[in-house]
Amino acid sequence: MNFELKVALRFLKDGRGQTVFILLGIAVGVAVQVFINTLIAGLQIDLVNQTVGKSPHVWMVGQSSYEAALAANEDANYFRGNFEALTSPLKNWENIETILGSRTDLTAIVPVAEGSAFLIRTEETVPVVIKGMDIADADGIYGISESIVSGTASPGGDQILIGSGIASDYNLEIGDIVTLTIPGIRNQNYTIGGIFSLGSVTDDTWVVMRLSQAQKFLGLGSDVSKIEMQVADVYSAETIGGELQARFSGASVNNWIENNTSLLAALNSQSMSSLIIQIFVLFSITLGIASVLAVSVVQKSKQIGILKAMGTKDRQVSRIFLFQGAMMGVLGALAGGGMGVGMVRMFLWGTSLETGTPLFPLTIEWVRIVVILSIVVASSTLAAVIPARRSLKLNPVEVIRNG
Amino acid sequence: MAEKTNCKYVLKAEGLVKVYGTTVKTEVLHGLNFSVKSGEFTSIIGYSGSGKSTLLNILGALDVPTEGRILFCGEDYGKMKPDELADFRNKNLGFIFQFHHLLPEFTAIENVLIPTWISGVSGHQREKMNRRAEELLEMVGLKAFIHNKSTDLSGGQQQRVAIARALINDPTILLGDEPTGNLDTETTDQIYDLFRKINQTYGTTLIMVTHNDQIAKRSDRIIELIDGRIHSDREKAEETRADVG
Repeated sequence: MNFELKVALRFLKDGRGQTVFILLGIAVGVAVQVFINTLIAGLQIDLVNQTVGKSPHVWMVGQSSYEAALAANEDANYFRGNFEALTSPLKNWENIETILGSRTDLTAIVPVAEGSAFLIRTEETVPVVIKGMDIADADGIYGISESIVSGTASPGGDQILIGSGIASDYNLEIGDIVTLTIPGIRNQNYTIGGIFSLGSVTDDTWVVMRLSQAQKFLGLGSDVSKIEMQVADVYSAETIGGELQARFSGASVNNWIENNTSLLAALNSQSMSSLIIQIFVLFSITLGIASVLAVSVVQKSKQIGILKAMGTKDRQVSRIFLFQGAMMGVLGALAGGGMGVGMVRMFLWGTSLETGTPLFPLTIEWVRIVVILSIVVASSTLAAVIPARRSLKLNPVEVIRNG
Repeated sequence: MAEKTNCKYVLKAEGLVKVYGTTVKTEVLHGLNFSVKSGEFTSIIGYSGSGKSTLLNILGALDVPTEGRILFCGEDYGKMKPDELADFRNKNLGFIFQFHHLLPEFTAIENVLIPTWISGVSGHQREKMNRRAEELLEMVGLKAFIHNKSTDLSGGQQQRVAIARALINDPTILLGDEPTGNLDTETTDQIYDLFRKINQTYGTTLIMVTHNDQIAKRSDRIIELIDGRIHSDREKAEETRADVG
């Protein structure tokens, strides 16, 4: 073994009490870092997932009808029945879909014919949102097939799917016939083929039908109202949206980030506070090591003096202290990493005691942990620099003279 | 008597002056000139404050003179860089201090081996050095205590470990600062015998700062310092020099 390493190890072993205390200090700090980091990351993933997990991240609609009318300088009919059609339909959407299909960063592309209507059931008139889309496509975003609570997931003929909220509020069952109406334009009877529960407010408003059915009912011809998309990395939605906007100047592209600025601001400040906590923890670890080693330089001054008299070079002496810092960092970081992972497991176990599932899922990301541990080891070594430099100033003559 | 080097004078001090302090200057050594022959056993005596420890530190390249120079076989210490000086001390000088200064974190044999670790011996050299350390500890009579923690040894035992440590790299000069200063008479005698044995067996040049008349009288040469000047420099005739008892 290297001489400096051997002496460093022996110094640490000799000051056992001191070493154990500082190691514990480092370990607790590292554990807090690992735990907070994992907790905040898990919380944010969960929040974002709840917000946009089952909704489009990016969507493309036709130009604003009002702007289109202005551009055409005509008194365009941008009302559809009593409902204001805020955007004009997307024409040639099959071409757009093909172009979008060549992008690898999009995980789902769903052309949708969407509009408002009323569902009439005996005396009740219920406002609903018509979502016409290919169910297989729609599963990419909404997972409708797996959310069917009764009936079929593939409606045929005049069958439609309704949300479980509508079904329970108005006592609707599979096989019931309902009327959908756009006042002044169209009345049409449909049979309820399936009931879905997506677990959100959409269960109270959505009526899902095949794309062609909706196109016919809403009078869109062969056009669609919008194309909804999900992207692989939710945070890239803004960039991808921008790219699509530039590519399809005739359309209007939106993304979830624009619509959730306050959520994202909250997430950002949360990340920032977590970062600040971690920086301060790191800082106190570093100070702790630096102070222990500063004391150690004084305690070991006799040994250092004698080592120098026997021909130890200054750079070897300072390496003894750097190695001590690094070793404390490595040992403390490993112990702390283990403790942190243990705390995460405890959290998952503790919060799942009553409900059977944890408060929110946490994934232990080893890369993240390795990064934290590496930073701790690096700062521990750095913490030893000042004591190491002080050791250089020790004059063997002084030490020997004073016994 | 075997001699270690080819040069006749292993150390030469030329006009050594040492001044301590910057504002209030105290001149401790006032221009000393002397030479030490290879294989010689020299004692430096004097009252405390006479400058003998300062002189020894300068001879041992631990301290630098304010004026003058030290030549080791003609080579000037003052011209060596700090790292070269460290190497020089490691290879050519052995130190024995009054308070033995073993590293308490290590065992007896580890303490003896430390100078070889510093210079970085490796492979089969290490095996050889381990054997040498054992032999040296056996020579100083500590065969049974090889693996004892240095703090578990008595004062005299610790001093003998320090002597073994000073010898491990087979130095040209062994420097001692009051090596028997805090030992009883009987142990002092044993240590003296050991020095003489080392001097005769390895041809090591010995320079000892001492208060002890017994040691001083049995060495080959006595340099007496008074107030930083050489008061007397007496050499025994070759034939009257003591032999190992």
